[in-house]
Amino acid sequence: MRGVAFSRIAKQFGQFHAILPLDLTVAPGEFVSLLGPSGSGKTTLLNICAGFETPSSGTLALDGTDITSLSPRQRNIGMVFQNYALFPHMSVFENVAYGLCVRGIAEADIARRVETVLATVRLDGFGARRITSLSGGQQQRVALARAIVIEPDILLMDEPLGALDKQLRKDVQIEIRRMHLKQPRTTLYVTHDQEEALVMSDRIAVMRAGRIVQIGTAQNLYSRPVDTFVARFLGESNLIPGRVAATDGKSARFEATGIVGPLTGRATPGIAVGGPAAAMIRPEHVRPTAGGRKAQIVERVFLGEIVALRLDLGDGTELWSRLFSSDAPAGETIEVGWSEDNVSILPETT
Amino acid sequence: MTQAPIWSKGFAAIVGLALVVPILAVVPVAFSERSFVRLPPESYSLRWWNAFLADASWRNALITSLQVATLSSILAVATGTAAALGIQKLGPSGRKIATGLFLGPAVAPVIVLAVGLYALARASGLVGSVTGLVIAHTMLALPYAVLNIGVSVAAVDPRLAMAAAGLGAGNWRIFRTITLPLILPGVVGGAVFAFVTSFDEVVLAIFLSGPRVKTLPVRIWEEIRVEYTPVVAVAATIMIALALLGAAASRLVSRRDQ
Repeated sequence: MRGVAFSRIAKQFGQFHAILPLDLTVAPGEFVSLLGPSGSGKTTLLNICAGFETPSSGTLALDGTDITSLSPRQRNIGMVFQNYALFPHMSVFENVAYGLCVRGIAEADIARRVETVLATVRLDGFGARRITSLSGGQQQRVALARAIVIEPDILLMDEPLGALDKQLRKDVQIEIRRMHLKQPRTTLYVTHDQEEALVMSDRIAVMRAGRIVQIGTAQNLYSRPVDTFVARFLGESNLIPGRVAATDGKSARFEATGIVGPLTGRATPGIAVGGPAAAMIRPEHVRPTAGGRKAQIVERVFLGEIVALRLDLGDGTELWSRLFSSDAPAGETIEVGWSEDNVSILPETT
Repeated sequence: MTQAPIWSKGFAAIVGLALVVPILAVVPVAFSERSFVRLPPESYSLRWWNAFLADASWRNALITSLQVATLSSILAVATGTAAALGIQKLGPSGRKIATGLFLGPAVAPVIVLAVGLYALARASGLVGSVTGLVIAHTMLALPYAVLNIGVSVAAVDPRLAMAAAGLGAGNWRIFRTITLPLILPGVVGGAVFAFVTSFDEVVLAIFLSGPRVKTLPVRIWEEIRVEYTPVVAVAATIMIALALLGAAASRLVSRRDQ
């Protein structure tokens, strides 16, 4: 098991900067997700790691050894492609065995290892099947088996669940997480789906326009986003526009536009006094509070154990509140409040 | 689907007949007993088949044609596969230019090619040799090989080669185990097209044949200028049969693959 380190890696296609110089370290056995919208550079970063793209500058190291100039075949990587890229003219067994055959491993060993890995992905007995006869979920698992059977130093996955339907996607997410916990592999996982990243990752790198905007654990990104982009991308949030009145680096005073008025919250490094910013309050932190702000309940969305309330504070300023259904008030008005600890003053990025 | 009206069926049948009858008319003539060409023959025999086989000049012409067609289709497919794979890797404008270049021999008037090739073949002493004919026919067949194989190459997901490379395979192994099996229908189709193109070709062959090395169409051409006996129809029937066989073979391969 090995770790991988990107140092000042950048990639340019003609005039287009796909990746601006960035650093990223994945520890041995760590599962890191690259999360971002399309065009943010996450797949390019993955392809650089695989060796399918050569970086314009910077170095890539595997356990301290520079592998920047090695071709894909010289790196010991396992890659799961979007839409799988399974060999359509081969059986399941032949697909999974391909990397082992290339390595000149004895036939008996190949058969044993393929059997074992097919059992791991719950495809025992599927060896002789043709790829075209499998369902999408089964094909996805063959692709995973083909990538891990060679015991790669790094496992790379490029939106591997994108083609599956919603329920199956949830099942496979949990399955991949379980497999990872049972046998940790250094993994880089590309996705634009926040839920996928939240369920599976040890750490998440949020990417935007060729940069890593923030990297950290799911909890860390959710509760302490560095800007409004991350706040919007991970989870639901109320973002109240305004400007920074004062900051001491730890907490900031904030003038919200509209009826909300002055607020105090956690300061983030990117804010400047007088500059445009937004106050972030997660909907679950907007709670019924006796003597709090009066609000009209404009909309009520029942989500099972949770109910989401759209609140109008009086001048058209809207906040979402998410409460346990049992805590939700019955009437049309509510008094709400929030704790200062749960307010973050974030730099505005669009 | 609605039934086509009777008049359109009738029209289709007439067009179909017009396409097929001139080709098939030659077959009964080959089995004629008389020594002049007449349709339909008054009586049938294998007399002209025996005459064809007994004549060394006909036999040699058939063997030369088979040799030239086999060698030039192998060469055209080998070059055409490399070209199709290379063209796929070019940018959009490079792809257009390269494809246009490869289609040149199919677009240029054959007589122009013949004059040019004749001059080159004379300068290099290749007139009247199998080598000269093979080179000329390879060039003529190459466009069909590149087109056929190109269609198959374009249908192969480029990420399959990436996946194989990621699993540690080198370029040659990727070609052998991934690319070639997937483009095989195009390769076989290209080979059949190339074979038939060469086997049918008469203009270049007239220029490049010599007294001892001539292809079957050239031999037919020479014969017909002197006398028109049913032995010519025997040679023509053999050519039709081989063309049908080729077409059937390529259909078989592309069906097996689906």
